[in-house]
Amino acid sequence: MSRLALRPDARHVGLSHDARRCKKNMTTPNELIRNFSIIAHIDHGKSTLADQFLLKTGTITAREFQNQMLDAMDLERERGITIRMHPVTIYHQYQGKTYELNLIDTPGHVDFSYEVSRSLAACEGCILLVDSFQGVQAQTVANAYLAMEHDLTIVPVLNKIDLPIARPDVVIAEMEQALAITPAEVLRASGKAGIGIEEVLAAIIERIPAPKGSADDPLRALVYNSHFDTYKGVVVYVCVKEGTLRKGQRIRLLRDGTEHDVIEIGRFRPGMTPCEELAAGQVGYVMAQIKTLGDVHIGDTVTDALRPAAEALPGYKEPKAMVFSGLYPVNNQDFETLREALGKLRLNDASFTYMPENSEGLGFGFRCGFLGMLHREIIQQRLERHSSLDLVQTAPNVTYEILTRKGEILVIDNPQKVPDPGQIEEFREPFVRISFLLPSENIGDLMQLCTERRGIYLRTEYLSPARAILAYELPLAEVIYDLYDKLKSVTHGYGTMDYELIGYRPADLVRLDILVAGKRVDALSTIVHRVFADRRGRKLVKKLRGEIDRHLFAIAIQAAIGSRVIARETIAPIKKNVTAKCYGGDITRKRKLWAKQAAGKKRMKQVGQVEIPQEAFLAVLETDQ
Amino acid sequence: MKGTRQLDSPWLHPRAAYVHIPFCLQHCSYCDFAVVAGRDERIDEYLDALGCELRGLQEPHPVATLFVGGGTPTHLNCVQLERLLDLLATWLPLEPGHEYTVEANPETLTDDRIALLASHAVTRLSLGAQSFSARVLTALTRSHHAADIRRSVTRARERIDTVSLDLIFGVPGTTLADWRQDLDETLSLGIGHVSTYGLTYEKGTLLWKQKRDGQVHALDEQTELTMYEHSMDRLQSAGFEHYEISSFARPGRRCRHNQVYWANHAYLGFGLGAARYVNGTREVNTRDLATYLDRCRSGRSPTMQSETLSPLDRARETLTVQLRRAEGIERMSFHAQTGFDLDELAGATIRRLVELALLADNGISVRLTRRGKCVADSLTLEFLK
Ligand SMILES: Nc1nc2c(ncn2[C@@H]2O[C@H](COP(=O)(O)OP(=O)(O)OP(=O)(O)O)[C@@H](O)[C@H]2O)c(=O)[nH]1
Ligand code: SF4
Ligand SMILES: [Mg+2]
Repeated sequence: MSRLALRPDARHVGLSHDARRCKKNMTTPNELIRNFSIIAHIDHGKSTLADQFLLKTGTITAREFQNQMLDAMDLERERGITIRMHPVTIYHQYQGKTYELNLIDTPGHVDFSYEVSRSLAACEGCILLVDSFQGVQAQTVANAYLAMEHDLTIVPVLNKIDLPIARPDVVIAEMEQALAITPAEVLRASGKAGIGIEEVLAAIIERIPAPKGSADDPLRALVYNSHFDTYKGVVVYVCVKEGTLRKGQRIRLLRDGTEHDVIEIGRFRPGMTPCEELAAGQVGYVMAQIKTLGDVHIGDTVTDALRPAAEALPGYKEPKAMVFSGLYPVNNQDFETLREALGKLRLNDASFTYMPENSEGLGFGFRCGFLGMLHREIIQQRLERHSSLDLVQTAPNVTYEILTRKGEILVIDNPQKVPDPGQIEEFREPFVRISFLLPSENIGDLMQLCTERRGIYLRTEYLSPARAILAYELPLAEVIYDLYDKLKSVTHGYGTMDYELIGYRPADLVRLDILVAGKRVDALSTIVHRVFADRRGRKLVKKLRGEIDRHLFAIAIQAAIGSRVIARETIAPIKKNVTAKCYGGDITRKRKLWAKQAAGKKRMKQVGQVEIPQEAFLAVLETDQ
Repeated sequence: MKGTRQLDSPWLHPRAAYVHIPFCLQHCSYCDFAVVAGRDERIDEYLDALGCELRGLQEPHPVATLFVGGGTPTHLNCVQLERLLDLLATWLPLEPGHEYTVEANPETLTDDRIALLASHAVTRLSLGAQSFSARVLTALTRSHHAADIRRSVTRARERIDTVSLDLIFGVPGTTLADWRQDLDETLSLGIGHVSTYGLTYEKGTLLWKQKRDGQVHALDEQTELTMYEHSMDRLQSAGFEHYEISSFARPGRRCRHNQVYWANHAYLGFGLGAARYVNGTREVNTRDLATYLDRCRSGRSPTMQSETLSPLDRARETLTVQLRRAEGIERMSFHAQTGFDLDELAGATIRRLVELALLADNGISVRLTRRGKCVADSLTLEFLK
């Protein structure tokens, strides 16, 4: 979602002559349209290059300009990264003609690669940026492959050539080696210094094919994104493949067959700018008084209700949540408020899932699925920011599969759901194929790291004598928590990684339970490999002993597998806590002090008689290694 | 009638008064009271200002208990002390059967000061003895010696009805043996009242800074606990009643004034940093001497903070202070005083703490058990959660 898009006045941003043209409703013929995305590894300069496009084409004026203009979400600006895709329409004069360029800026972080694949489905080509100092990185390779799968034309651009430390020849050689890119095709640019922008724009027009499809065919528009506008309801991002979408038209969403009247259509310039129609090849948005995002599925096809198309467009694979964790309101009364907040968030992020769940210890909450740890962190931050809820989040886990003795397959997205060991025929965990791109000198250290994490070595490929791609298969559970951090420390920041799920494999897994004061706290259970269970259990109870405050009674903390206790620690009770004096003047002071302490306790989760702070639920993850 | 009701309700209408005299010879390392050390030239001005503040009463307010604390009231010279006592006699006349307490430091209790106090109907002396050990007295930066304590107690008892000793335990570097010794010495004096305070590290005091900087180390919890338990055992076996968390008295020697606080009843307060609780409103005077003098002399109120609690908060507060008493919280009087039914307010917590043997409940009242007394602050938190 872009905050710009939500701002009612945003539509006035950059109303240049092109925008007026759009209002006059002159449909651009296909051969003057180019649809493309900018893809790259994280931080290689996609958003900065997009800024240059906006400036150079007069879409925005220098006065309106701010860095990474399209990164409008507050979290994006704070973190300096792109989280959501950002479409924008620009007009560019080239050899006497005005071209309509629909560009989509995409995120580089691995958690958001689904945004990249969605964007690519709305395009005929893409710009592949490579940082001329850092060279080819894991997401460079992954995103380039995605583009190839979509049969897109790739315009390779060596970016940041203004850097004094740029190594253009080495990096171009890497691009050739890793992606079979012809060195002669590679353009050189700097988004920051504004170098080579004209050349890149020219290459977009010259090399990327115009969209096909006729404005007169029955309407088929691909829904490639959506966001929720508090005032206008659901805003649907579409790429019109065939036919024409008009204001006032009655449309049908093919998947569920729901029908709606179009009240506004427009383009992102970058603010939402209304126009009369969008014809085949064009990209923009539709608003049709759709109240719930449930009615809109990403990848769905919009057609004309009166003249429907026969077949839906191919659509997308639903992004799959990789990481799950429980989210609970500290106060049980806040459950409904939390449900509402989650619903609102989901309006703008269909890749995140939530299901009500019930934990003995934590009461009513939700099991949420995320694309990765960064995604999880961002969702939590957005929730806390937009609602004033106090939340407890349990340690993340991946999804397991269990084949029962009866031959059923259970999908386990929560350790609580693991059945008795007696019923388990086979316990399976998700594996990923992972590629690391790293300096050759760190290969040994990384291999050791992967071996400790039950990795299966696949191969090494050298991009140059100094840099290599190392491929492994690893259990996802060993990847998500902190492998990235470990990789960074082993490679002094120079290593990157990318992974994809390859399937489930049997493993010797057990559920490690934690008992606090004799009661199993289901939210503290984890699934671990049997070989590591004892060590994990010991570390975990020790850690928990430090996290839980002393109480008025002794608290036993135990780790157990089934009924076998493998580790135990005791939190001694408070023996003395009494202030000596309490005379007239002390009463107010004490009452205030106590009120403060009591408020602190309210933020904890009461499990039986024991108050457990939020940190304890995350301790499970910190003791991972 | 409203007027009569007020008279009937000791939690609204004060029959107790506290007067603060902030002057001390020096500022002890652990003390965070409103204290003024080394500024004796301001004493007369202070008495002027106090007179102004008392005049705010407009007419004399009779009290059943009067408590003059500090600071060190007996740091005043005889002329000043007499002025003070006369001033109080004018504005806070004593009802028949009164209790009149003055705090004193042992080294200041000369015969003429004792005579002055006695002649002004003082009935109780609360003596800041703290310890008999030279090492501890030095650690606490106190300026008296054990001999001063013995002498002043003996002399005071000739003229004044009740003498109470304040003692501090849990001083860094001390052991249970040290504390035993202090209690034995105290008991050998044959006095009727003892207050024992566990040392606390109040923010901003010298001792707190020393602890923060690692120069002193607080005693471990177990040792502090043993010391506190020893106070209970030793004093009770010597015939003292443990009538409040840190107060012990022989029968008939309880401090009535302090019991007003623990009942959460009303009281007046005058002087630097003094607190008062009148008609459900709590007020505290400024702790800054210059401001106090200035305000009072210009006829303005020295009050710095004023707060009127909601009935629910008042009930909770009453619960927590009454819990300190040996007699605990008595259901009927609690209801009369606060308008809340104790069990509706805190029934579940009471039951839970009774189960943990931290509270005892006989159906009429709820009291701390011996173990409960040791963790009284934690219990308070349970009630406020
Ligand atoms: N020297 C130099 N720095 C650049 C250039 N382009 C971008 N940068 C810097 O690189 C950093 C990342 O730039 P972004 O444009 O946010 O990169 P991005 O690819 O959009 O990043 P994600 O969206 O998070 O994947 C910023 O600090 C930019 O200022 C360039 O051409 N030259
Ligand atoms: S004598 Fe008493 S009031 Fe004065 S500083 Fe020492 S402890 Fe505080
Ligand atoms: Mg970006």
